Amino acid sequence: MTQIDRALSWLLGGRKPAASHLLLAPASLWLIFLLVIPAGGLIILSFAKNGPYGAIVWEFGLHNYARAFDPKYLPVLLRTLGFAGATTVLCLVLGYPLAYFLTFRAGRWRNALLVGLMVPFWSSCLVAYYSWMIVLGKEGLINTALLRAGFLSAPIGFLYTPFAILLGLVYFYLPFTVLPLYASLEKMPRSVVEAAYDLGAGRWTAFLKITLPLSLPGVVAGCVLTFIPCLGDFLTVEILGGPRYYLLGNLISNQFMMAQDWPFGSALTSLLLAGLVGGLWLYQRWEKA
Amino acid sequence: MTEPLSRRGFLKAAILAPLMPALLAACRRAEDARVVNFFNWSNYIGKDTLPEFTKRTGVAVRYDLFADEDEMFTKIRAGARGYDLIVVGDYLIPRFRSLNLIEAIPAGTLKNLANLAPRFRRPIYDPEETTVPYLWGTTGIAYNKKKIKNPPTSWRDLWDEKYKDRISMLDNVRDCISVAMQLLGIPQTTRDPEDFRKIRELLVKQKPLVKQYSSASYLNSLVAGEIDLAMTWSGDLFQTARENPDLDYVIPKEGTYMWVDCLAIMRGARHRADTLRLIDYLLEPSVAAGIANSVRYATPNLAASPEVDKALRDDPRVYPTRALMKQLQLHHVLDSEQSELWSQTWADVKVA
Repeated sequence: MTQIDRALSWLLGGRKPAASHLLLAPASLWLIFLLVIPAGGLIILSFAKNGPYGAIVWEFGLHNYARAFDPKYLPVLLRTLGFAGATTVLCLVLGYPLAYFLTFRAGRWRNALLVGLMVPFWSSCLVAYYSWMIVLGKEGLINTALLRAGFLSAPIGFLYTPFAILLGLVYFYLPFTVLPLYASLEKMPRSVVEAAYDLGAGRWTAFLKITLPLSLPGVVAGCVLTFIPCLGDFLTVEILGGPRYYLLGNLISNQFMMAQDWPFGSALTSLLLAGLVGGLWLYQRWEKA
Repeated sequence: MTEPLSRRGFLKAAILAPLMPALLAACRRAEDARVVNFFNWSNYIGKDTLPEFTKRTGVAVRYDLFADEDEMFTKIRAGARGYDLIVVGDYLIPRFRSLNLIEAIPAGTLKNLANLAPRFRRPIYDPEETTVPYLWGTTGIAYNKKKIKNPPTSWRDLWDEKYKDRISMLDNVRDCISVAMQLLGIPQTTRDPEDFRKIRELLVKQKPLVKQYSSASYLNSLVAGEIDLAMTWSGDLFQTARENPDLDYVIPKEGTYMWVDCLAIMRGARHRADTLRLIDYLLEPSVAAGIANSVRYATPNLAASPEVDKALRDDPRVYPTRALMKQLQLHHVLDSEQSELWSQTWADVKVA
């Protein structure tokens, strides 16, 4: 074990380029094998051709990209942006007060509540969505209760509607918004708010001028973390949504699963990735400016 | 303990941790047990079928399930090897063959092949009998007797405005395109883009009425009253009707197609001899009858019919009458170009 101790002193002590490379190696390898290589493969595949029965023909060209700009996919793109945007806004509206409460008001319950926030992630979202089906169904909990109580004469079809999709998305992505918000509110020095009070600011003024601006990085991080995965979500629509709410994620998954057109699916994915990277890059430039 | 030391402790653990799986692997015995890896539809075998085989031969069966044919195909294509035996729908066999995913069952290796009804020998989708028929069924309409007053008689009923939001369609290229073709009187041999435009239009017209495109979860929706009318595969509905006796099945008056699910040996199967033994076992009359009784699909095994439950055997919804049997056809064997037209049309319906 002394050997290992000596090796560790070398690794952790001082600024040695070799040592820092070694420390970076596990994370870099992880990224290379699980991000760079698959994404590279996907991009290469997106230029290939689809052969008989979905066999991949290695003749390169831009045909898949030309197909992706067919106007028939525009409604799918707009619908996806709409659902992702609405989910992000709803998560923010619901998540900000929650994060605020957790940070400043929850007291000794804070840790328990934070764990509670994570509980839905302990089961697969597939299971969660199936549970929602039991709750929302025509013979489900809500309808049965309302019918028994005499508020309804006929069951409401909640399932396979935009409502069910938004509910599923907000349910699943809410913690993605709350956690960054909580982190940024938490590290905000309380003394700044106290100073605002001392200088005569009311609660609202202090919140609008101090707390809100200081939590903005959390707001942005939360929105990005919600919006981006929402763009690629397909499971929610598959389970809770109907055939009229086909999203980008469903379009892509169908190219791989149903149509057996992997090159076209790869082109769609590459475009989505390019859009995201471009958007984030623009945002960073705007932030710096 | 000071902080740098604990960080060091962590790194030490991190260095040693990757060695653990290697140690564990070294401890594991080399795999020598006899086994067959079987990939099948969910709910598609009798409860005792495989344990009985293991008891009799000492060969274990590792059983894996899929609920969606497209997903299964994607999994196999993406490189899931390891399987020895797989259940493939008749229309997928040319595709599997062309992509070199299955290998032929050598002629003369199965002594129970003669148990099959003549109709299922040398079928058009596989004239050399490189695969073995396992179960067959029809595609028809399921409906809830309590909620639909006039039983559906035609595929047209799935286009009826009054059932808006109570309809589900199978999420499957083959079935949906075939029905549209039947309604339009277009032969399955077509490769005319104009025909496919009409097919797309017909299916898109139906879309506002459809609550789900689904090949499995719609069965729960039927039971739960979420939908009342569904395009379905025969046996799936009969299995579901055990839970909800109000559900019934009709073969529309326009007729329908029959399909045959087949047992095929995967290319590169490592347990070939035991796989052949398992196929031969599944062809035994009492075994085939046991499966048919449990999953309520029709068995192509003629020798098994005396042992099939009388209620099933006499049910024309499961085993259509002689007259109807004559009308039932297999799907046309599509070449790759046709197959592309079919799936493109279906993809466009989904996007519309």
